[in-house]
Amino acid sequence: MMNQKRPHRFWVCHLVLSTALMLSFSGCGAKVQDLNTIVIWHQMRPDERAILQRQLRRYEERTPGIKVVEIYKETEELRSGFVIASIAGQGPDLVYGPSDPIGIYEATKTIQPLEQFLSKDYLDQFSGSAQTWHNDHLYQIADKIGNHLALVYNKKYLERPPTSDRELIEMSRQIQEKHGSLAGRPNVYGLAWNYTEPFFFIPFLTGFGGWVFDEDGVTPSLNSTAMVNALRFVRALRDTHRIIPNESDYEIADALFKDQKTAMLINGDWSWAGYVEKGIDVGIAPLPMISETGLWCAPMTSPKGYSLSANVPPEKIESVIRLLRFLLNEENQLETVRAIMTAPTLRSLYGRTEIRSHPIIMNSLLQIERGRPMPVVPEMRAVWDAMRPPYQAVMGGARTSEQAARDMQDLALKKIRDMNE
Amino acid sequence: MSRQKWFIIALIAPAILVMAFVVFYPFVYNVFLAFGNMNLSRIRDWELVGFRQFIKIFTEPSQPDFYVVFLKTIIWTAANVFFHVVIGVFLALVLNQHLKGRGAFRTILILPWAIPQYIVALTWRGMFNYEYGSINLIITKYLGLPAVEWLKSPTEAFLAIILTNVWLGFPFMMVIALGALQSIPHELYEAAEIDGAKWHHKLRTITLPLIRPVMIPAITLGVIWTFNNLNIVWLVSNAGEPSDNTHILVSFVYKAAFNFYSFSHAAALSLIIFVILLTFSLFFMRKTRATESAY
Repeated sequence: MMNQKRPHRFWVCHLVLSTALMLSFSGCGAKVQDLNTIVIWHQMRPDERAILQRQLRRYEERTPGIKVVEIYKETEELRSGFVIASIAGQGPDLVYGPSDPIGIYEATKTIQPLEQFLSKDYLDQFSGSAQTWHNDHLYQIADKIGNHLALVYNKKYLERPPTSDRELIEMSRQIQEKHGSLAGRPNVYGLAWNYTEPFFFIPFLTGFGGWVFDEDGVTPSLNSTAMVNALRFVRALRDTHRIIPNESDYEIADALFKDQKTAMLINGDWSWAGYVEKGIDVGIAPLPMISETGLWCAPMTSPKGYSLSANVPPEKIESVIRLLRFLLNEENQLETVRAIMTAPTLRSLYGRTEIRSHPIIMNSLLQIERGRPMPVVPEMRAVWDAMRPPYQAVMGGARTSEQAARDMQDLALKKIRDMNE
Repeated sequence: MSRQKWFIIALIAPAILVMAFVVFYPFVYNVFLAFGNMNLSRIRDWELVGFRQFIKIFTEPSQPDFYVVFLKTIIWTAANVFFHVVIGVFLALVLNQHLKGRGAFRTILILPWAIPQYIVALTWRGMFNYEYGSINLIITKYLGLPAVEWLKSPTEAFLAIILTNVWLGFPFMMVIALGALQSIPHELYEAAEIDGAKWHHKLRTITLPLIRPVMIPAITLGVIWTFNNLNIVWLVSNAGEPSDNTHILVSFVYKAAFNFYSFSHAAALSLIIFVILLTFSLFFMRKTRATESAY
């Protein structure tokens, strides 16, 4: 039986617990702004992240009272997570990544224009491709340009890189013949890349004269002769010329190159420093020309940079912009270039000898010059999702190139319709 | 109201509060979303549009097709739960014997369950690689059979995710079955032996009926978990590859929501999954009389 004192104690405990519970759930609503803590969400790889962490520690030392928290998220998770969190009034102050989701962020009103906080003189210091403008507003400013594919080759197998598709095939065959095979599988492949993802297919499409959108920049143009020819070409590399592995996703292609079981690899600038660290004598070259068309295989290029969340309150913007300017300054960009060999965005850095004489960075810049900027419109999302299944079906032998091109177009149109309904 | 009733209400109030926030509110919100038109272009100004999403799911062709995905989900669930139960009960029967090193065997057999699903899925994905995966190496080198294109062909890829989940799922059923076996009074077996019963008689008339009350809820849970198992499908098949041919309903929902931003479409699909699982659970529990005592 309860004595006289217990009920009071019970009710007090109950009140405390219930209040704590209510308070814990109150965090589910709009974010309570901590003006002295700046949060960055990014998708940087471990080596990039280590540099960012160093830079942030330096910033905290120079700016007492300000704390910067960086949170890693995988690319897809970053994109969808940022949209969902922002709509719920949560999320980071700055979001870092490639420019392609900018259209989605803008459509969902989860980022805010930057040009109102950065003067024209300041912006003029940056290369034009470092600034992502969409619907007349600046939504991203980058510290790296590129995020592009190029031909990575192992100098142990090749003295010079191929410059055309014919050379690529011939050189690959020679390497495979020279190193023999085991149970029908070459000991060293000529070439490898992630051929499950359409992003890696784009250079072949552009090499055959195709593109993902019509001139209006939003209507898909996937059912084209260029698409059919490019699909046939990629399939022939595997089934006719037999110079690429039978099955190859990103991890397999990457592992094959690291284990020196492929002489060449198509991969992005984010991966090159890792191969150098692994002790491979790496060369970077622009992707070859398609002899039939006389066009270079042009990868999509995009800047990688920071966008300002729409949830940053006016009273916090100044400190967030101050951090942004710090992260984009010359000292920090140079540190990144030296460590991971990516192309910087400040014009002043391009005059420096250490950059102009760096073969990897210079070849990377040449590839960027030959590349095509990745569209930032939300329709791009529909195009990627429409390309993937038919492309994989062609590589799996389940569809012809013609059928796949038609299916890609139909699917892209349907997805755009669904997206805008 | 009496003091005792207030006391009871006070005790259950925090739990109800938690349930309201983490179960009822998301569920009700999901129902609203399912009848709305929230997508990328109407993410902030969505409105209720009635049954449009449901009509779209059941009548409009999609890539992949809803009915095909639904059929695959049934095959996926039935195959997995069947093998989980058969392998799990078989191993539990073995471990229930007086074996030397029983503890070590039990630990080894629980390992698949103890390893994080992400690691298991990605390891199996590597093992299924056509040229470098250990499964094809075994098939070609030791069995003399041709290599299988596990991840490139739709049927083989679907088989690959089932194999992975079978490996991952049997320890749960084994542990449950072992617990149930250990609770069966030994006297029943002794009495049966005196009556001259063979092992299969004892299995059919003592073991299986007496582990049934424990196994039925476990199977029901197994069906719900497997039906909703996103991790293995998503990671082994790399988000439905090849060509979105390895989706089950829940990965289809995930893709609709987080890749395509079709939130209302995904919410409608979730509601359909909920109705399917609720109907199954009620029917299965009633049909098997799972709540009745075995003794």
